[in-house]
Amino acid sequence: MAENSIAGGGVPAIEISHLTKDFRIGIRGVKLRAVDDVSLCVNSGEIFGLLGPNGSGKSTTLKIILGIFRPTAGTCKIFGVESAFVAARENVGFLPEAPYFYGYLTGRELVRFYARISGVPEKSLDAAIESALEITGMTDAADRRVKTYSKGMLQRIGVAQAIAHDPQLVILDEPTAGIDPIGAAAIGECILSMKKRGKTVVLCSHLLGQVESICDRVAVMDRGRLVVAGTLESILTQKDKMNFCVSGLENFSEADIAALGEFMRRRGAKLEEITHPRISLEKFFIENFSKGDRK
Amino acid sequence: MMPIYWIAKNTFLEAVRQKFFNFLVILAVVMTAVSVGLSGFDFGNSELKFIADFGFGGLFLFGSILAVVMSVQLFFSEIENRTAITLLAKPVNRSAFIVGKFLGIWLLLGVFTLIMAGMLAIVLAVRQPVLAADALSHGLPEPFLSFSGLAIFAFLQWLRLSIAAALTMALTSFSQTYLYAIVVSFCGLLIAQLQYLLRDVAASEQSAIVAKICAIVVTKCLPNLQLFNVGQQLTLEKTGVPAGTLAEIFGYGVVWTIVLLIVAVLFFRKREM
Repeated sequence: MAENSIAGGGVPAIEISHLTKDFRIGIRGVKLRAVDDVSLCVNSGEIFGLLGPNGSGKSTTLKIILGIFRPTAGTCKIFGVESAFVAARENVGFLPEAPYFYGYLTGRELVRFYARISGVPEKSLDAAIESALEITGMTDAADRRVKTYSKGMLQRIGVAQAIAHDPQLVILDEPTAGIDPIGAAAIGECILSMKKRGKTVVLCSHLLGQVESICDRVAVMDRGRLVVAGTLESILTQKDKMNFCVSGLENFSEADIAALGEFMRRRGAKLEEITHPRISLEKFFIENFSKGDRK
Repeated sequence: MMPIYWIAKNTFLEAVRQKFFNFLVILAVVMTAVSVGLSGFDFGNSELKFIADFGFGGLFLFGSILAVVMSVQLFFSEIENRTAITLLAKPVNRSAFIVGKFLGIWLLLGVFTLIMAGMLAIVLAVRQPVLAADALSHGLPEPFLSFSGLAIFAFLQWLRLSIAAALTMALTSFSQTYLYAIVVSFCGLLIAQLQYLLRDVAASEQSAIVAKICAIVVTKCLPNLQLFNVGQQLTLEKTGVPAGTLAEIFGYGVVWTIVLLIVAVLFFRKREM
């Protein structure tokens, strides 16, 4: 397993130690272990990806972090405060998976409601709302009722309500689920802008390309257990293999390939494949389709 | 305190936008209005009594339906749509959530009671002078009507509906399904309303010991809503109700509402969403 925290001073944004969560199912109370002895640390100011297949315990872990579930065993702290305490959530913003909001409110009213709930004082309320709407690109649609929003807009207004009180930690559960690549890229930009402003972001997503491009560190869970945690570099780099990207090479014949293979063989290595580099479909989509007027 | 205020305000706004509330208000108001036409052709107090009884009954019946259905509906919509998770992920504790929800519904019940009592007052005010003149012409005593008594009664009914809403919140806080919450809440309300039957069973020496124990337990665990049946005395009788008795009823209502809300909070704290 790679490291589950990086070196750095200060209080970690999230500190989970030997976390276990059991659910009792049915009349007989059969025990179902959703999270099994998980320990991990999320440092302040980083974008942290929490990954894993469906049912791996990600959402349960997030709910324990947010104080919605009580752990069966272990501890969870947010900026040093036990997550069970309300005070721990004063500095946290959360976007749930497939969010549903009060449809009769406008986007601005919705963000205002959650900002007030989060304790934003009246004098700074308007500025906080406008800032959240601007960061998420929802200013132009802010006066429309939430029930008229598209899926992507719902996600973005969800992000806006999560950041309206300017929290230090933002937890996003599947923020890009069910939305198109351009909408997903817009949310990716939001996340990066949060990091630039010194926020810590925990991202739970199945969009691995995006996770790879924006996360500093990731943790992977499976069947309630932490499988691996660390920087993408440490997890993904195959240190025993090398890629060469060469430009300006023309008329590279079979004989040349054989000669290259022979060179590698003499060095005790094996030439495994020669390919042309290509961009990802996501990058192609984003670069070739307009982002304009997505309201 | 601020989260409670905002949750209550949002709950109230959500409730008044629901068609069910508007339908119930219109139905209750229309029924009160047509009670004039349904009354007999007797002179004097009996017609006023009929109208008042009809209005009081409508207020409690439709108010109870509103208290139960709205409490369950507004609670479960938050759970099923997962807006409760978004709310509880904020610096909001579970007691604030329950109290905020209750206060929103309580305000809604206040509006409903005000509309119903206002409608009843209008109907009684229209009929009373006519009936008084008719009664005098027949040598009968003029029918008595107290609007201040009606106002006090309306306030006490609001309190009674508050108990109904708090009881529903307590039962809903641990219920897993909408239907179960509705059925159990109406059963609880029915038992609370018919407590005199259970008290008779508890007091009777002929009752079986098991029935007696059950009756005693149920009467202790549920409020006695019959105490609030003082509409006749307050509105149509000159003797009225002593201030001490009114204070007792008021205190009884407040204490039961608080106790049931505490129960709701305790259950909701243990609930996993």
